[in-house]
Amino acid sequence: MLRIGVDTGGTFTDVILVRDGTIVTLKLPSTPKHPEEAVLAGVSEVLGEDDVEFELVHGTTVGTNALLERKGARTALLTTEGFEDVLEIGRQNRPGLYQLTASRPKPLVPRALRFGVRERVTSAGEVLIPLDRDQVHELRARLAQWGVESIAVCYLFAFLEPRHERETAELLADLGVPISLSHEILPEFREYERTSTTVMNAYLAPLMGRYLRRLEEGLTRLGDARRSPVRPVLRIMQSNGGSISARAAAEQPVRTVLSGPAGGVVGAFATAQRIGLSRIITFDMGGTSTDVSLVDGAIQTTHEARIAELPIGIPVIDIHTVGAGGGSIARVDEGGALRVGPESAGADPGPVCYGRGEEITVTDAHLLLGRLDPDRFLGGAMPLYPARTREYFRAFRHRFPRPASEVEIALGILDVANANMARAIKVISIERGHDPRDFTLIAFGGAGGLHACDLAEMLSIPRVLVPKHPGLLSALGVLLSDVVKDYSQTVMLAQEEIASERLEGVFSRLEARARADLRAEGFPPDRIRLSRLVDVRYAGQAFELSLPFTSDFLAEFHRAHERRYGYADPARKVELVTLRVRACGITEKPVFPSHERRAIAVEPVARRPVYFREKGSPIARETSFYWREALAPGATLAGPAIVLEYSATTVVPPGWRAEVDEYENLILSREQ
Amino acid sequence: MSRDPIKLEIFKSLFISIAEEMGVTLRRTAFSPNIKERRDYSCAIFDGEGRLVAQGDHMPVHLGSMPMSVRKAIEAVALEPGDVVVLNDPYEGGTHLPDVTLVSAVYVEGRPFFYVANRAHHADIGGMSAGSMPLSTEIFQEGLRIPPIKLYERGRLNASVMRLILANVRTPVEREGDLTAQLAANRTGEKRLREVVAKYGVEEVAFYMRELQAYAERMVRARLAAIPDGDYGAEDYLDDDGITEAPIPIRVTIRIRGDSAIVDFTGSAPQTRGNVNAVYAITLSAVYYVFRAITGGDIPANAGVLAPITVIAPEGTVVNAVFPAPVAAGNVETSQRLVDVLLKALAPALPDIIPAASSGTMNNLTLGGIDPRTGAPFAYYETIAGGMGASPQGDGDSGVHTHMTNSLNTPVEALEYALPVRVRRYGLRAGSGGRGRHRGGDGIIREIEFLTDADVAILSERRRFAPYGLHGGEPGRPGENVLISNGVERRLPGKVNIRVKKGDVISIRTPGGGGWGPPPEAPSPS
Repeated sequence: MLRIGVDTGGTFTDVILVRDGTIVTLKLPSTPKHPEEAVLAGVSEVLGEDDVEFELVHGTTVGTNALLERKGARTALLTTEGFEDVLEIGRQNRPGLYQLTASRPKPLVPRALRFGVRERVTSAGEVLIPLDRDQVHELRARLAQWGVESIAVCYLFAFLEPRHERETAELLADLGVPISLSHEILPEFREYERTSTTVMNAYLAPLMGRYLRRLEEGLTRLGDARRSPVRPVLRIMQSNGGSISARAAAEQPVRTVLSGPAGGVVGAFATAQRIGLSRIITFDMGGTSTDVSLVDGAIQTTHEARIAELPIGIPVIDIHTVGAGGGSIARVDEGGALRVGPESAGADPGPVCYGRGEEITVTDAHLLLGRLDPDRFLGGAMPLYPARTREYFRAFRHRFPRPASEVEIALGILDVANANMARAIKVISIERGHDPRDFTLIAFGGAGGLHACDLAEMLSIPRVLVPKHPGLLSALGVLLSDVVKDYSQTVMLAQEEIASERLEGVFSRLEARARADLRAEGFPPDRIRLSRLVDVRYAGQAFELSLPFTSDFLAEFHRAHERRYGYADPARKVELVTLRVRACGITEKPVFPSHERRAIAVEPVARRPVYFREKGSPIARETSFYWREALAPGATLAGPAIVLEYSATTVVPPGWRAEVDEYENLILSREQ
Repeated sequence: MSRDPIKLEIFKSLFISIAEEMGVTLRRTAFSPNIKERRDYSCAIFDGEGRLVAQGDHMPVHLGSMPMSVRKAIEAVALEPGDVVVLNDPYEGGTHLPDVTLVSAVYVEGRPFFYVANRAHHADIGGMSAGSMPLSTEIFQEGLRIPPIKLYERGRLNASVMRLILANVRTPVEREGDLTAQLAANRTGEKRLREVVAKYGVEEVAFYMRELQAYAERMVRARLAAIPDGDYGAEDYLDDDGITEAPIPIRVTIRIRGDSAIVDFTGSAPQTRGNVNAVYAITLSAVYYVFRAITGGDIPANAGVLAPITVIAPEGTVVNAVFPAPVAAGNVETSQRLVDVLLKALAPALPDIIPAASSGTMNNLTLGGIDPRTGAPFAYYETIAGGMGASPQGDGDSGVHTHMTNSLNTPVEALEYALPVRVRRYGLRAGSGGRGRHRGGDGIIREIEFLTDADVAILSERRRFAPYGLHGGEPGRPGENVLISNGVERRLPGKVNIRVKKGDVISIRTPGGGGWGPPPEAPSPS
């Protein structure tokens, strides 16, 4: 079936499809008030007259934005009596250690809408206090009166004995609002993280439901203007790197909220795998922030992610973000140090070189050094103002204690930004026991290619890959995603309690649900892959390691602990905390066109001096500028060179070379 | 060589990232939950004279006290290449005994060019009770005292020292693991610093170490200069020392003159019999914290921060205790009161940024006994948050750790899996925050039912003297400790050791934060 990938971003909505070995791409301005308009316009444009059945896989920011802007539903929270405030207390810590004023985000549900219900289940899963049904009944009237739009229910130990949450849902069903139950959203222990995730789901449910309905109706209407009706299937990208049906996404919208960056990692890994690379560090540098993620044979997920400063306990691709991007603002602080970011000029007013910004940014430094082509930025659609930029740099010089040239300052801005980003990569690699020398850096986003070789140099990463369509990698990831669903159950077993029959029982139950769900998503048994995982820790620890469940998993736990934390103690008792099943519905992947490499001479579109630093000093080097689309497989370039394309620029510094591979990726490495 | 703003920023980020990487090594390899999960540790880099260059953003209470450790280590021992000094003695560069510090010298061109150090809170260091935080009357009861001595000599373990330490603690295997982790952290720091010297050269590195200190000093001086000259005084009280009921005054006068300040604690109470004494290092840490916070918290923690500030803390007082006073609670409780007093003094000088008092206590709770489910002994320590003081900007947060601590809670479900207890209530203490134009944050009510007999120790403050309000705001409500036995409530002192029975409930009600500004008039009944 024809698959179309659409990724909604802040500025652009990206569309990609692969048909008969040809990649069709489209970039449209996003329509933030009604995001479905850009999606529908994009689909309608790439859809052929004869396409009837097609599958749209969609990465949406509807959930993300509602959380960031606090525009979700009026949600009520029901908890075990005595624990109504867990959502507000959180883990009792604060994000700003030296901030004298309140710095924690307000909870999504205010105190007035949090209600304690008489009921209690013990840590052994036994009912200690039966649910007070009369109390729930009385609450129903109040919830209706308060105009509540959705409800979250999170009782202590409900993941062991879900009966009270189910009864509560039944008693409230006739209110006709979405109800999120904690044992369904995240059947795992740690009440704050489970409550936060369940509340987030309820907070987003009404909004996501409405959005997806509008989108589905719009898709069906696409057929109206044609000879034949269309039969679209809509799938939504999730934060775990897989997609789910629109119906599942409407019920569990919390699974979509970090899907944007997830698409990028999936797209980068697919690109790498196509040419036989399995160990990559993804480097996605945009206007305000940079996302990095490490993939060692498989995409890594975490259960400790945050969005809008709130914890989200479901599996999410492990991505580290720093506030450094093209729009990051440079300033000299009161103590006389050059700072870059985290403040950003954003898209409005934007960098100085866009014509309206008043503060110098990383992008301005690139322009000043000659690394951007003022006439070909965004394919020439966005004029840049070099003279204005130089003027601002001249004024900026006076903030330096000794006379520095504009070029030195611009190189310094890049040094500081690179130091911030290199630190982010160290956190996900060196600090977790990985050596960056074993990895390839996959650079994308508008600014990734501008910094990739410098970072590789700083971290001794031997190779950089800039994929074809670096601005569309998220859309590509969305297009290529499998359907992935995660299931879990906290069991909390001491080492001596681990009996294989007991585990088998829990795993089989989770797998039966997984199979049924994937069948409902339209997958035959031969396209379903199930994998079992376990979360294990040493008795007394507060964090677990997730690893594949094998007959030998205990030994593997000690090895994994050694790798991750530098030590293991096989004599120490372990605890088996949570069992997990990951279910994959394998989608049909399009075949990507590959081309033979041919040695052909490439002509630069321009030659101009560009500033680099060599042996500590700035030097202008005559540099060739190439248009990426003119570079065919087999083309090689020696640095210094600049590769221009529609939404990205790549710098090949002196001492580096670039080659175009058979999939039109740009591969950069140091000259031998 | 002249100062380059670019290099300044690069070196700043470089040194901090090395200190942080030391911390990652420590956390990855340590055993104590305090180190691994509550992150009660700090790592720091010093120049060849032992002046602080950079410290990871870990525990505020360690801020001012790390340099003392390095100074005492240098004074006591001639550190050769490969030597590592261990110490925990509060009277020889430590804070309280569970905090164990390791100091190493990094030699470059035949001289100590850097020192690296890390401090970690060990789960036990011996003494009269598990966890080494007893209601003591002399330091000997609190655990093993280690003056600055060599744990490693020329890279080789001094096995006798290690054996002596391990013979005096309750969980020797874990202690050995933690000390090894601390060594690994210093080695990480040393390795990275050598890379920095290889890349930039001795001269440039030395230059920027000095420049970074000057940078922090300029930032603090700029802040001080903005404060009107004058003498700003305040006093506040610790409830008691756990042995007698006498309140313990802490007094400060901050004399601002131009871009420098004298912080004078003269007039504070003499050191006490109970364990609330702070050694000088703790007092310095509180001063460090406050001046860093009022400068926006954005300056690197190094020797420059305190350069414009003179701290006067008379010996033999509760803010500069001398041997052999007990000090276990000085670190966790008195440090909070020191911050309260300092902020109160500065409030008239900086009316736009200083908040009312926060809860001012860590509400330390220790449980121990035999788990009937397994027959094995259990021991558990936690701190409970309170209300944050309201500020000129808005209400205080509720149920949050403030100032000198930031450790996580243990989830209710995790606690009930691990221990024979049932949490009956964990919620906000409504109305405990002081009223005001901006309200103080509410404290917490945490009620724990015991499913077996157990020993309980509570070390808490602000049970008598309430967290103050500011500019007409009302104080937060003081905390309460209550034992509920067969339905009968009994008030417990702020600092107490008791034996509870199966079925008993301990209810800890933590203080709210103070309010800021006069409260709005109550609507007149009409």
